[in-house]
Formats: sequence, C-alpha cells, structure tokens
Amino acid sequence: MASPKSDLPQGTLDLLILKTVALGPVHGYAIAQRLQQISRDVVQVPGGSLYPALHRLETRKLLAAEWRQTASGRDAKFYRLTRSGRARLAAETANWKRLSETVGLILGMAEGGAQ
Amino acid sequence: MNWRRWLGRNDREANLERELSFHIEERIADMVRSGVSEEAARRQVRLEFGAAEQVKDECRDVRPARWAETFLQDVRYAWRNLRRNPGFTAVAVATLALGIGGLTAMFSAFDTILVRPLPYADPDRLVMVWDDLSKTDDRTKSAPAPAEWYEWRRLNTVFSGIASTQPTDATLSGDAQPEQVPARKATGNLWSVLGVKPLMGRVFNDEEDRNGVRVAVISYGLWQRRYGGSPDVLGRKIDVNDTPYEVIGVLPGEFYFLPARDIDLWMPASFPGWMRKAMGWHDEEVVARLKPGVTREQAEQYMAALSLEITAKDFPRPHRTIVTSLREDITGKTQTALVVLLAASAALLLIACVNLANLLMSRGLARGREVAVRMALGAGRGRLAAQFLTESLVLAGFGALAGLALAVPAMRFLARLAPETMGPVRLTVDWRVLAFSAASAIAAALAFGLAPALRGSRTGALDGLREGGRGARGSRSYWFQHSLIVIETALAVVLLTSGGLLLETFWHLRNTDLGVRQEKLLTFETPLFRYKEFDRRDAFLTAVLEKIRAIPGVINSGATSQLPLKVNEGSATFYWISGQPQERKRDQVALIRLVTRDYFPTIGARLREGRFFEESDRHSDAQVAIVNETFANRNFAGRSAIGAKFKFGNTGAKGYWYRIVGVVKEIHEVGMEEAARPTVYSLHEQGSDQLMIPPGGIVVRTAVEPASIVSAVRQAIWSIDKNQPMWRVQTLEDIFARQLTTPTQSTALMSAFALLALLLASVGLYGVLSYAVTQRTSEIGVRMALGATSGDILFSFGRRGLALTFVGLAIGLALAAIASRSMTSLLYGFRPDYLPIATIASLILLTVAVLASLVPARRASRVDPMIALRSE
Repeated sequence: MASPKSDLPQGTLDLLILKTVALGPVHGYAIAQRLQQISRDVVQVPGGSLYPALHRLETRKLLAAEWRQTASGRDAKFYRLTRSGRARLAAETANWKRLSETVGLILGMAEGGAQ
Repeated sequence: MNWRRWLGRNDREANLERELSFHIEERIADMVRSGVSEEAARRQVRLEFGAAEQVKDECRDVRPARWAETFLQDVRYAWRNLRRNPGFTAVAVATLALGIGGLTAMFSAFDTILVRPLPYADPDRLVMVWDDLSKTDDRTKSAPAPAEWYEWRRLNTVFSGIASTQPTDATLSGDAQPEQVPARKATGNLWSVLGVKPLMGRVFNDEEDRNGVRVAVISYGLWQRRYGGSPDVLGRKIDVNDTPYEVIGVLPGEFYFLPARDIDLWMPASFPGWMRKAMGWHDEEVVARLKPGVTREQAEQYMAALSLEITAKDFPRPHRTIVTSLREDITGKTQTALVVLLAASAALLLIACVNLANLLMSRGLARGREVAVRMALGAGRGRLAAQFLTESLVLAGFGALAGLALAVPAMRFLARLAPETMGPVRLTVDWRVLAFSAASAIAAALAFGLAPALRGSRTGALDGLREGGRGARGSRSYWFQHSLIVIETALAVVLLTSGGLLLETFWHLRNTDLGVRQEKLLTFETPLFRYKEFDRRDAFLTAVLEKIRAIPGVINSGATSQLPLKVNEGSATFYWISGQPQERKRDQVALIRLVTRDYFPTIGARLREGRFFEESDRHSDAQVAIVNETFANRNFAGRSAIGAKFKFGNTGAKGYWYRIVGVVKEIHEVGMEEAARPTVYSLHEQGSDQLMIPPGGIVVRTAVEPASIVSAVRQAIWSIDKNQPMWRVQTLEDIFARQLTTPTQSTALMSAFALLALLLASVGLYGVLSYAVTQRTSEIGVRMALGATSGDILFSFGRRGLALTFVGLAIGLALAAIASRSMTSLLYGFRPDYLPIATIASLILLTVAVLASLVPARRASRVDPMIALRSE
C-alpha cells in the first residue's frame, strides 16, 4: 500500500535506512536528518515514507527497536540493526554496486557508440 | 474490552503516536532554532511530513496481524452504525433472515433426503432393474418375473450380485391378536447385495431360500411392538399365515427397503418350480449391485440386450430392461420437488439481496458526507470499501442467526417432504447445515454489499463535502439500481408463475373426479388367502358383509380385490377382444378388479352406459364384466362397448369369454400421480380363477362418522373368524389426502416463496422510487415552478416504475417458461395452461408495481414548489 514518495528507485529507501542504522542505534528523526545531510539535501524522505519503511523493516526483523532517552532527555524510539539486518545490508550493498556498475557500463557504451 | 489488550493494541497505538509526534516536535524545534517562527514551522512540517493520520495508517498496514485488528475495528464501527439506525437494521436483518432461513431449511431437507448415504453398504453402486414395457399399455417401468431374475442372475456379467423381492401377505396369529403386517419375500442374497447386517441374530441365505426353510427376519419396529423388544424372540416359532416360521434375526432400526418403509417381515422367496419358468408372472422388484468399474449406463445397455435375448426365446413379448439408481427409485418425485424448492428459496434470497443492495446504495448516497470526511482524514478507498463490506457481513451474520431461528421450526415441517419409500427423516441443525448457513450469509453479504461498497467509496471527497450535498447525480448513476429492480421483478415473476403452475396443478388434483363419493367411506383390508376354496371364501365374505351391513350407521358394504387409489400395485392382465387376432393381446394390458355385487353402489360409482352387476348374474353361467371409460375409449372408440366379448390373455384357449354389460365412469384405481389405465371389473359371485387376487378390500358406506364403527366392524369379523386380521383401516378421504401430501407441501412452500418474492420486489420498487423522489425534490420544484402540472410529475415518476416493471416482466416470463419445463414431473401429467397463469402472475405483479410506484409518484406530484426551492 505504501510506496516511497521520494524520487528514490523502488527499494532503495530500505537500503539507505539499513546503512544509516548500521552506524549505531538511532531514532527516526535522526535518520531523516542524516540522510538529508549526507546526500546534501538530494534525498528528502517524507514521514509518510520513512515510518512505514521503518515499521516494515522492524516487522521483518531486519531492525530492532527500543525506547531510550535522547541527549536532550526526551523519550524516542531507537532503531538498531539485527544480525539478519546486517546480512541483508551486505547483500543489498553488493547487489546495488553490481547493478550501478552494470548500468554505468551500458550508459558508457551507448555514448561510445555515438562517437 | 479485553481483546484490545490481547492484541496489544493500545500500547502499539500510543507508541506510534509518540514516535511520530517526537519527529514532528524535533523538526519544529530545529526550525525554530534556525530562526523560523513556531507557527510557520508547524505549517512547514505538516507539509513535508504529510497527514499524520495517513502516516499512522500506513504504519499500521505493515503490521502482520493488521487485517484481524482492522476487521475487529470495522466490526465495532459497523455495530455502532447499525445501532444508530435501528429501523434500517431491523428491515435488513428481517429480510435476510427470511432469505437465509428459507434457504437453510430447504438445504437441510435437500441434504438429508437426497445427499446423505442410504442405509446400505456403498449405496451409490445399487441399482434397480425393471422390465421396459413402454411399447404396450403397461407401465414403462414394469415388474420383472422371477424367471427373468433367474436368467439375469445366471448370465449377467455387470452385477456383482442381483437379488429379487416379491410381495406376500402375512397374517401373524396365535400368540396374540391376529395382525396383518406388511411383509415381503426375498431371495437369499438380498442381504449380501444390500450389504445389510442384522441388529441381532442372522439373516437367511441362498441355501435356506433354495430349500424352502421356514425362517423369518423381522423389523426393529415389529420386534418392539409385538415382541416387546425381548432378545428371546430369536429362535421363537411364530405363526405366519397359520404356518410356523422361526425368527432368526432382527433388522436394525434405521433399515428400510423398497417398496415401502414399513415392511415388518422378510421371508425367503423360495420360488416354486413353475414360477422359475413362467415368463408371464410379473411381480418382482429386482435390486443389483454394479461390479466395480461398471456404470449404470453400461449396465442398462448390457441388460437391455440380455433381456431381449432371454425373452425372445420363449416369450411372446420380447422387451428390454431399464436400470435405475436405487436412490432415484426411493426418492421419486421428491427429488424434483426438492430441487425446484431449493432453487426457489435461492431465488428468494437473491431477491432479498437485491433489495438490500438497493437499500445500501440509497444509504451510501445519503452517507456521502460521512465518506467524504473520512476520506479527507486520509482513509483510502480500499479501507472504506472494506468498512462498508464489513457492515454488510455483520448484517448478514445477524440475518443468518435470525434465519436459523426461523429454519428450525420450518425444518420440522419440511421433514414431512420425505417420500413414503424412505425411512422416517429427522432434520437437524448439524455442522453441514451450519456451514451452509454461514456460507450463504457470506455469499449474500458479497452479493448485496460489494457493489454499494465499491460505489460508496468512490464518492469524491469534494462532492460529498460541498454545501447542499445534492450531488449532480445524473440518470447514469441510477442504472445500477434500475437493473436491480429489473432483476428482482424478473425473479418474482418466475416464482409467481411457478407457484401458479403448482397451484393450478394442485387445484386440479384436489378436484379430480375419483369416480367415488369420498365422504364417509371407510376402507380396510382383510386378506382372504387363508380361504383357499371359492365356496368357503364366498361364505366368509358374504357373512362378513352381512354383519357389517347390520351395524347401526352403516348404509352399505362391498368388497374389491384392490381398493381405489392404489399406488404401484396394479394387478394387470393381457386381454384380447373377440374378433381381434390373438397376437393383439401382447400389447393390450388392463387392470383387473374382482368385486362383489354391492361394491359399485357402496362407493357411489356412476355408469356411462349399460348396467351394474345384478343379483341374477350370480346364477348365470355367462361371465359378465364391467369396463371403465378408458378401456371403452381405447377399444370401442365411437361405438358402444356393451355386448362385446373379451378374454384374458393368460387363460389361453380354455379361458372364459367375458361379456361387457356396463361402462363405468372412471374410478381412480391408480395413485394420484399415475394416469388412468384400462380396467375391467369382474364379479366375485360368479366364481373366479385361482390366479386372481380375492376381494379382500372392504368398503363401508356409513351415515355416521366412519371412525366410530371401526371396533364394531372388527368384532363382526372376529365373530366369524377369530384369527382373521383387519388392517390398513382408513377412510378414502385419508388415502386421498395422504397422496396429495407432496403436492400440497410443495405447492404451499412455492406459494409462500412467491408471495414473499412479490412483497420484497414491491418493497424494492417502492424504495428506489421514493428515494428518487426525495433526491429530486428541488428539481421537481423547479419543473413545477416552470409550469409542469402535478399530473405531469405523477406521470413522469409513475412511468419510470412501470418501465422497469415491464422490462423485468419480459425477462421473468422468458425465464418462467424455461423453469416450468423443469417442473413437468411435479405437474403430475397434468398440463396446466401456461398462458393464463403467466397472465395472472403478470397482472398481480403489475398491480403491485403500480401501487408501489404510485405512492412515491403522488408524493412527488404534491411537492410545493415554494418549499422545495426554499430548501435549496
């Protein structure tokens, strides 16, 4: 029912979330901030995409969550990677690299052909 | 509520809320820190984050137990909604209860009577084998001869076993009051062919059958009734027809077998030698078990060829056979009746669904604003449709519960639909019935809820919210409701017409001229086979009839070999008429009745021509006979039968010539389901041939209530012979009423279904039209303000209702013509006039439709333009 409303290719949001969470336990708002900062504002994730994705990953046991206090003393839901989440991240990363290399190769070949 | 805690719902919802609001608050805080005003920040965050409710909903959607939770939530919502509209809910539940209850009750009868296994091993492999005498005057499915059975058993390769049963008389006497019991002789392999084990003791076998050993197997009923259920009945010698038979077994209580459920005594057939060769002695019923892999059709083809071969050799009348499934013979017409009634009840439920769909549709339009609000709050179309559908399911669930409450008493009535050839039937609410009821409720919910759900959820958020909420619904949006009206009108026409056909048939049966004055006519049987010589028999009968006539309140009394309205037990014979070539007798069959002189006056028979038997006939050497109209019409079309002579076929050259002295108006000798057959009546007092059944059927015409003289009649018989039984005591009216049981019940049920259908269809039409009037009040106002008269408005609305009715009527009449063809066997060979029935059904429907459209149309025509326009 929920599809990412950003321009990210289908399924990419899950990969980016897994990568962000891999750096250490983090809450939803921080994930959004981090994605935006690191991508230099290219990736903007609306709440309507982020939270369903987080809940989906949690349901599939790729993420685990617990309630903790933030530095400012507020309660927030912190996500961390599970063992299978880590495995999935590795597999997806390799997959993505292979795919982007292949796509780059094909695009490069098309340019070469035009010369 | 506990289930909420159980689902951990509250925690999860609260956490979701906390998580999202944390995000929003943090974001706002960040923005405020970077210098944006708090108000602007809030607006900004709402834009980038999206509607919080929708985000929540999408988060809930990814949870695994989501559907169950949503469903429960929807059920709760539906329940609240239904409680808020008690009128609508009551109407909907009542409609559904009628539909589902009717269908469930019919299903339980259908399932119990037609689907459940019969009380034999592997009952679907059992078939009956009949002679096919369709080429003669005899019945198509005719009783085979023992001689045929011998040959079939010896030669056939399609049956693993083939057994035969034969009618017999059984008078139990000696140990208690003489009692005539229904009995049957059977070949020793009957039990192994049926695969039936006795409750106690054993059954007889082929060897006992061959050697003529006098043993008997008794029914559970007889064991309980006459022998007090005592186990020492085994081995006891009982007097059957003044001959001792040893009881060797008791059958289980649920056992029954053709031709009647009440057979109490089974004895070995032990066919005498002459019977094994006589191809002309037809009184058997033959049951066989198909070999594995052989189908009924294959067996029928094979047996037809085998029969032609066997009968060609030494029989003047070669014929084929018919192989029918045992279940078909046991259920008979009931099968068609049940199928037709099940279809009718399904049609009724369908009409109920159509009505509800219409009702929900109208309500869906009225609920446009609610839908729009929920959509604006972020509910998706799928969610809304699911919500509406849940509401339908909840309604159907209540309908099914109420329906079951209706079905239970109805089932008690329907149990009586079981044919007489089948063991007594008890219809119970078991898991099959419950499952069927649940399935039909779900199917009904989908049928009436799906379209309104999809349609209701399509309302645009803006349309619904717009002030005035009138919605520019053009004629296009009515087509669905209109087609629903057409469907239900059509179904109502089919049910009305079918009901009408059954009603007319019933009316016809009810008013059939039996050729007998039915009122105050007592009948009973007192078998005379114990009086073997004619003189003793005649003396006994004369004395009995004299004593009966002497009872106060008795007007007259007579005897016949077969009482009228006898189902499937015609004793028939070949005959040929003087002047005809002898070969003609091969295909001329007539029922034969041996009657006393007083028989015709007692039953109140009427003459077409000639005379009844007279006292002088007794002393005359010339044999006289009276024939019925069918006999006269068949053989003497256009001329008088009086004075003509005929001879019975089986008596050969030495037989008597009978002279016809009278033609009697048709007496209904056969069952109400059967067509009249040529019949000859000969006079008992003239002496009779050994093969004729003696006149043990007594008729008594009384001036008083027939039941009041029964014990006097019994004493009269016992005063002459204390071992002489009297049984099947009933008035002719009773016999007649019992034979009309099935048509009475199927007609009553069908008429009830038809009336309900008519009621529902008119309510539906009324509903749709009055809704249209309400919706278009302001349009009417405008039209009237522009000069339309109230007559114009009345006409325009009335026309719409009638147009729909006519379309439905046309479709319905076409369907009814098809349906009536599938009911022919319920019409008892009677051909009701389809056209008048269809016309009457159409007129009834039209009248009701006119009334149903007139009320709303009149309301439309009375709209005050000022008020209508001001309500804008």
